[in-house]
Amino acid sequence: MSWYENIPTMDRQELRDFKKYVDISFKDFSRTYGDGIETFFDPLLYFLVWFEKLLINAPWPLIILVIAVLAWVGSRSIFVVSGTVCSFIVIGYFGMWEDTMSTLAIISISTLLCISVGIPIGIFMSRSDRLQSMVNPVLDVMQTIPSFVYLIPVVMLLGIGKVPGLIAVCIYALPPIVRLTNLGIRLVDNEILEASESFGASYSQKLFGVQIPLALPNIFAGVNQTIMMALAMVVIASMIGVKGLGVPVLRAVSNQYLALGMLNGLAIVALAIIFDRISQSFGKRLQKHLESEHGV
Amino acid sequence: MSFEIKTLECVNSLWKNMFRYAITLTIALTTSAVITATSFAACGSLTMAEMNWASAQLMAQVDKLILEKGYGCEVELVSGATMPTFASMDEKGKPDVAAEQWANAVRDPLAKAVSEGRLHIANAAPITGLGEGWWLPPATVKKYPELKTVKDILKRPDLFPDKEDPSKGAFIGCPAGWGCQLVNANMFRAFEMEKKGWVLVDPGSAAGLDGSMAKAVERGQNWFGYYWSPTSLIGKYNMVPVDFGVPFAGSANWDGCMALPEQECANPKPSSWTHSVVNTVITDRFKKAGGPAADYFSKRVYPGPVMNGMLVYMADNQAGGADAAVEFLQKHEDVWTKWVPASVASKVKSSL
Repeated sequence: MSWYENIPTMDRQELRDFKKYVDISFKDFSRTYGDGIETFFDPLLYFLVWFEKLLINAPWPLIILVIAVLAWVGSRSIFVVSGTVCSFIVIGYFGMWEDTMSTLAIISISTLLCISVGIPIGIFMSRSDRLQSMVNPVLDVMQTIPSFVYLIPVVMLLGIGKVPGLIAVCIYALPPIVRLTNLGIRLVDNEILEASESFGASYSQKLFGVQIPLALPNIFAGVNQTIMMALAMVVIASMIGVKGLGVPVLRAVSNQYLALGMLNGLAIVALAIIFDRISQSFGKRLQKHLESEHGV
Repeated sequence: MSFEIKTLECVNSLWKNMFRYAITLTIALTTSAVITATSFAACGSLTMAEMNWASAQLMAQVDKLILEKGYGCEVELVSGATMPTFASMDEKGKPDVAAEQWANAVRDPLAKAVSEGRLHIANAAPITGLGEGWWLPPATVKKYPELKTVKDILKRPDLFPDKEDPSKGAFIGCPAGWGCQLVNANMFRAFEMEKKGWVLVDPGSAAGLDGSMAKAVERGQNWFGYYWSPTSLIGKYNMVPVDFGVPFAGSANWDGCMALPEQECANPKPSSWTHSVVNTVITDRFKKAGGPAADYFSKRVYPGPVMNGMLVYMADNQAGGADAAVEFLQKHEDVWTKWVPASVASKVKSSL
């Protein structure tokens, strides 16, 4: 009854061969296609480098002004705007300006990338139950797989630097926007759809004129979550050579520099809160506007 | 963390007194044992640090096998790392043995502990040919034989283009937070590499550093950066250490400038890398109580290529220290049988 007491395991040698086989096939793949994949991502890299340089080299009052205007457009709250300006001045005062700009650059680009990839996927998912049942497990994997596991293949394929960092961030930050877009569209009231149909709305009119606008608050919650999760990945991304606030945090962790770690950690938190408040209040305003328009 | 340390301290103060008796007792016992007989049974039980990197794990496991099977000791392995293990040995006298203690990081406190008789250096060079430095892949060296020293390489940043700014050469430094990060940043300034068209790339982590080297070598690209030996990567890719082309500019320059943060090092002088000292450190208790087992450590020297070969074996087969130790004892009998008396060697051999 040994099979009953011990779970059947692969032979040790076979297991080792299997692992070796996977490793070697990946290495072969990387040797064959790595350069091509790298070239494919080159435009993205140039854009990232350009955007980071732009943020770092721009005069600081201009950056703060732009961020304050964005905060005002998003939130229409003098409280949020003044809080934003204060945090950026404090960040600069403690000498973290450059790192914060690098982080800001990679976070904004990865959020944009996630939104532009995630919303279409979410829309397709909401159209087809079969696609939904196929994509959902993939999203589960993306959200739960320990990031160190995919850092190794990403680095083998693309080396260290911004693009692999961006990919690592997006793997983690993409799922919420996909899920919430899908959910938002599926939650649109059937009666509203029937009403639009009775007015003779075509398929695309229904989708873009009724379902997506009504799903916007949910979609915006997804954008908000995506930004938050991207910020949570800043430190991990720094482990594969992305400049920014994560680097001093790593330095602090391995040297037990309490103050350095706290300051940079809090700067990440400040960025997160600012992004969160702005995008949330923007989402809320969208909702109000829609409520009054549709009289729900 | 602090909670753990506190409990440890409590337990330790409790044990300390008992230890004192135990130590006096063992000292008395061993002296009499040495006088009366050459029995190996005097070794008793000891704890050994198993550091969190491959070569030290292999060494700890080999030591464990030889001491247990050959000398009849009872060995308990405790996991460790350079700083915590040293602190624990220095303050608490435990573990008894650190097989691969990199001494540069703890030079002053180690010297103090040795001069005060708390710790002993059982072996000043347990692995030959080790050290830190700057490396090139063998393919690059073959293709550009003119790159003999760091100075030659620094003239050719175009061979090592940086991904983010291809007009500059990329020098892969040390991950953020490691001691070598400071040294590499200062070396970067000392050799005026920025002026010569280089950027210092922070790989972010050990995985980043390994990955960047592995990726470059696997694809036949040029790579220039910091690494250290003995390591499986150096052994696996046959990486070539680069001669710095300048002599070591003195320990005042190194300790007083290179090893410090940039703000505290105004004028770093170009220098070759400091000689890395690795010791096998044992506690006073074990030196006195261990008898012939303590002497074993003084003869135990791994030739560099053998160690690198073992590390490649461990990496290729994803083997842990324990498996690799058996492999080492089977494959490299010529190496380890010289460390021990013939009677011990035969005991170990028969146990395999």
